[in-house]
Amino acid sequence: MLFYAAKRIGLTAVIVTAIVFTLFCLIHLIPGDPAAVALGPYATPEMEARFIEKMQLDKPVHVRFLSFAWNALQGNLGEDIFSERPVSRIVAEALPYTIALAFASLGWAILIGIPLGCFSAAHPNSWIDRLTGVISIATITIPSFVVSIYSLLIFSVTLRWFPVIGAGEAGDLGDQLWHLVLPAFAVGLGWVGYLARMVRASMLEVLGETHIRSARAFGLPERVVVYRYALRVAILPTVTLLGMGFGSAFSGAVFAEIIFSRPGIGKLIYDMVVARNYPVVQGGVMTAAILFVTATLIADLVAAALDPRMRANL
Amino acid sequence: MTPTMTDVLDIRKLSVEYATARGAVHALRDVSLCVPRKKTVGIVGESGCGKSTLIASILHLMSRNARVPAGQILFNGIDTLTLGEDALRDLRGNKVSMVFQDPMTAQNPVIPIARQMVDIQYRERLSTEEKRKRAVAMLRRVGIPDPESRIDGYPHEFSGGMRQRISIAMALLVRPDLLIADEPTTALDVNMEAQIIFLLRELQQEFGTSLLFASHNLGLIAELCDDVVVMYAGEVVERGSVRDIFHEPQHPYTQRLLECDPALVKDGRRTLPTIPGRVPDLRVIPEACIFEARCHKAFSVCRERHPAPVEISDTQSVRCHLASGLTGAPVRRAEPRPQGGGLRRKHAGEPLLAVENLRVRYRTEGFLKALASGNRDPFLDGVKQVSLMLRRGETLGLVGESGSGKTSLGRAIIGLTPCHSGSIRFDGTELVGLPDAEYNLQRRKMAMMFQDPIASLSPRRTARSLVMEPFEIHGIKLEDEDAEAERLFAMVGLSTAFFNRYPHELSGGQARRVGAARALALSPELIIADEPTAGLDTSVQGEILNLMGELQREHGLSYLVISHNLPAIRHISDRIGVMYLGRLVEEGPVAEIFENPAHPYTRALIEGTPHPDPDRRRTLLSIEGEVPSLKDRPRGCEFHPRCPIAEPMCSREAPQARDIAPAHAAACHFPLNREHLKQRA
Repeated sequence: MLFYAAKRIGLTAVIVTAIVFTLFCLIHLIPGDPAAVALGPYATPEMEARFIEKMQLDKPVHVRFLSFAWNALQGNLGEDIFSERPVSRIVAEALPYTIALAFASLGWAILIGIPLGCFSAAHPNSWIDRLTGVISIATITIPSFVVSIYSLLIFSVTLRWFPVIGAGEAGDLGDQLWHLVLPAFAVGLGWVGYLARMVRASMLEVLGETHIRSARAFGLPERVVVYRYALRVAILPTVTLLGMGFGSAFSGAVFAEIIFSRPGIGKLIYDMVVARNYPVVQGGVMTAAILFVTATLIADLVAAALDPRMRANL
Repeated sequence: MTPTMTDVLDIRKLSVEYATARGAVHALRDVSLCVPRKKTVGIVGESGCGKSTLIASILHLMSRNARVPAGQILFNGIDTLTLGEDALRDLRGNKVSMVFQDPMTAQNPVIPIARQMVDIQYRERLSTEEKRKRAVAMLRRVGIPDPESRIDGYPHEFSGGMRQRISIAMALLVRPDLLIADEPTTALDVNMEAQIIFLLRELQQEFGTSLLFASHNLGLIAELCDDVVVMYAGEVVERGSVRDIFHEPQHPYTQRLLECDPALVKDGRRTLPTIPGRVPDLRVIPEACIFEARCHKAFSVCRERHPAPVEISDTQSVRCHLASGLTGAPVRRAEPRPQGGGLRRKHAGEPLLAVENLRVRYRTEGFLKALASGNRDPFLDGVKQVSLMLRRGETLGLVGESGSGKTSLGRAIIGLTPCHSGSIRFDGTELVGLPDAEYNLQRRKMAMMFQDPIASLSPRRTARSLVMEPFEIHGIKLEDEDAEAERLFAMVGLSTAFFNRYPHELSGGQARRVGAARALALSPELIIADEPTAGLDTSVQGEILNLMGELQREHGLSYLVISHNLPAIRHISDRIGVMYLGRLVEEGPVAEIFENPAHPYTRALIEGTPHPDPDRRRTLLSIEGEVPSLKDRPRGCEFHPRCPIAEPMCSREAPQARDIAPAHAAACHFPLNREHLKQRA
């Protein structure tokens, strides 16, 4: 198990390096003069020269990459072109909003989706199962930005139950949670359906396995058979799926953040792409990528730890 | 056999139907049987005869589309069919417990054994600590070594035989009145099978539990049961005491089943008897006797009337018109009985395959992991220094317990597993290290028949395309594909009606035939058949073995047949090789091996096969224990820890293979019945 963890962590490091490299290339090798784009048409030659020097645009690409990588390792992601604040601080300020949104949205999706899936599998073709099926497919198909816009219109604008935009007053936890409700609802809704379908499918498979027949033949109560014996086995593929879920939520619930004007990573990257603020885009995307890879790594390790058969072979 | 209140289980005129999209399947019709207290009752019959449905109906563990239109299932006098779900659950795992067929999947894979064994005692008013103690004691009783610590393990940490012991321990832990075992040894090899049967017999006596035992293996039924119920196509065709059934079977089906058992066919050279035809479709039940279509004794009345059970003695009843004294002109001519000299064997030709010092190694740990854990040799030997020779037109049978390396050897010869060292000469060409282009030319002359007939065929291809696939793979253009397909189907006795069937639409025997046609496609010289009869009913086993024999005679094929079923393999083999822990420990002519085995392991394998005769029950196990781990080979003779005649020398010195008779070699210091060859310690 330790060896497996070490191997997976090593692999993760390789993936992160590859991501950073690709990202760097994408940003720096696109055609056009970054100085001209960033500084606009009215820049003086002096401003341009200062910009080129600061951004090391006169150095060859590999030198720039190595210096970027070296700085990144030390936590220095460069400076914002306009405000000259360190990128790492800008990203660190946005991060909590994104993480809070990811946990809130997936959290409620897990609490509703998994029991719903179990129930559907334990009562296949009952009316609740059919209803869950219809609702699940519906929530999976509706894009989260549509849910975001409509929930904003209905619950905030018309009914005025929830605040319209922003993430709440800094330092006021109650207010921040209040602002979190609608975005979490919008992002998590699709996951409720997704998890319910996934858990139902793997539960149905497990409930047909012979060890479940044995458990029933010993007269164990149906509750124990379904929620203890079957769910333990059926949950394993879902854990891996959740890793992906957290990963993608970290790397930006972009639409939800833009629509609700939450100052998270997704909105940050979007704003900075529009403003051609390359160092911030670079730092933001890299952070998001690392979070994604880390989330899947943790999910894989958890899945391995939960399954004694895997644990033994690692 | 009149039912009384002393019977634990009394099933009366039970019928069960399954609702399907294409109409109701009448899976059980008018089935009656009873299990007396402290007795063992066996249910026997081919697959599809309703054994599993019958067993599942007792505790209402049937699939959701099942319906019970008539009958009673009296358990201790109470009709379980009238019980609600809660009352039924109160019987399950309390008064009645079950042991299922496949031990590998019988327990929850992610919950420790201890937890599962404590959970099933949920009705007892004991502390968890006490429940655990009871579980440990029961595991010790069924022969799990070191139960105190191993109880905390998970099912995958145990071998198949050990897992079946755990299943039995769990089933007996709840002290049931009735234990139901559904083919409990089918997934195990002969040696494990014998151990499990002995264990069941002992425990049944010790706990005074009644046992209902379903199996298609007549030998096991004879060995274990007091009474026997023979089922065919959802009906009980005959029931009686074990001696009635095995010594004086009355129903033609029972008679035929017994004839088909290869263990009862004395002459090893004879064509094996079979029961022609198949179990009928149970959607439309004919007016006639259900067995009429396959019965060699059928006469006019059999086509007109369905027979009722006839009591022919206190213990025996038969559902056959013959038993009620009716006779008439037979409706079909008895097909010619198989004659002697049917199967194989003229004279062997020149050598076709010569394997020398072959070694197959498997990696146990990845390169990095081995480096990290300091394991300098992260390999184990699946096949170790095996030498053998096969002549043209000859059949070599390879036998041994699971894990003895027989499949590895077969796969290595045909190139599915890389060889580590040694030599394989095939048709005069050395195959080890041969460049791909030349190898492929040789490879066409060999074919493999795989172990699991249906799973080894792609589910997305039709039978015709599967049979023609070898031509595609080897890029061979045919002038007339249809003619070739017809020829191949005809060779294995399948009509062209099977062309468009998919594997799941085939029976086990038909899928075997498709597998054989596929193997024959490129007119090979050597066919490696891995467990060609595993999972088949006795009657179908004979068909497949006869087919293999015919094909050999017509096409001069050579076979390497891998099996753990010794009586079956005896009928097609010229010579037998016995493998243990990846080594060939004995090799010789089939008659010699069976009549005068030299290696104690060979003798144990032969004695491990039960005889379908209740008067020849075994009283002693031939060998104890299991095949040791390949990672931890015993020193000296690798068989010595399990050998009944081992001497101190055996644990020190590894025996070399030596000739003990012409063309008969064995690796043993003290070969059986050969005083002059025994070595001094």
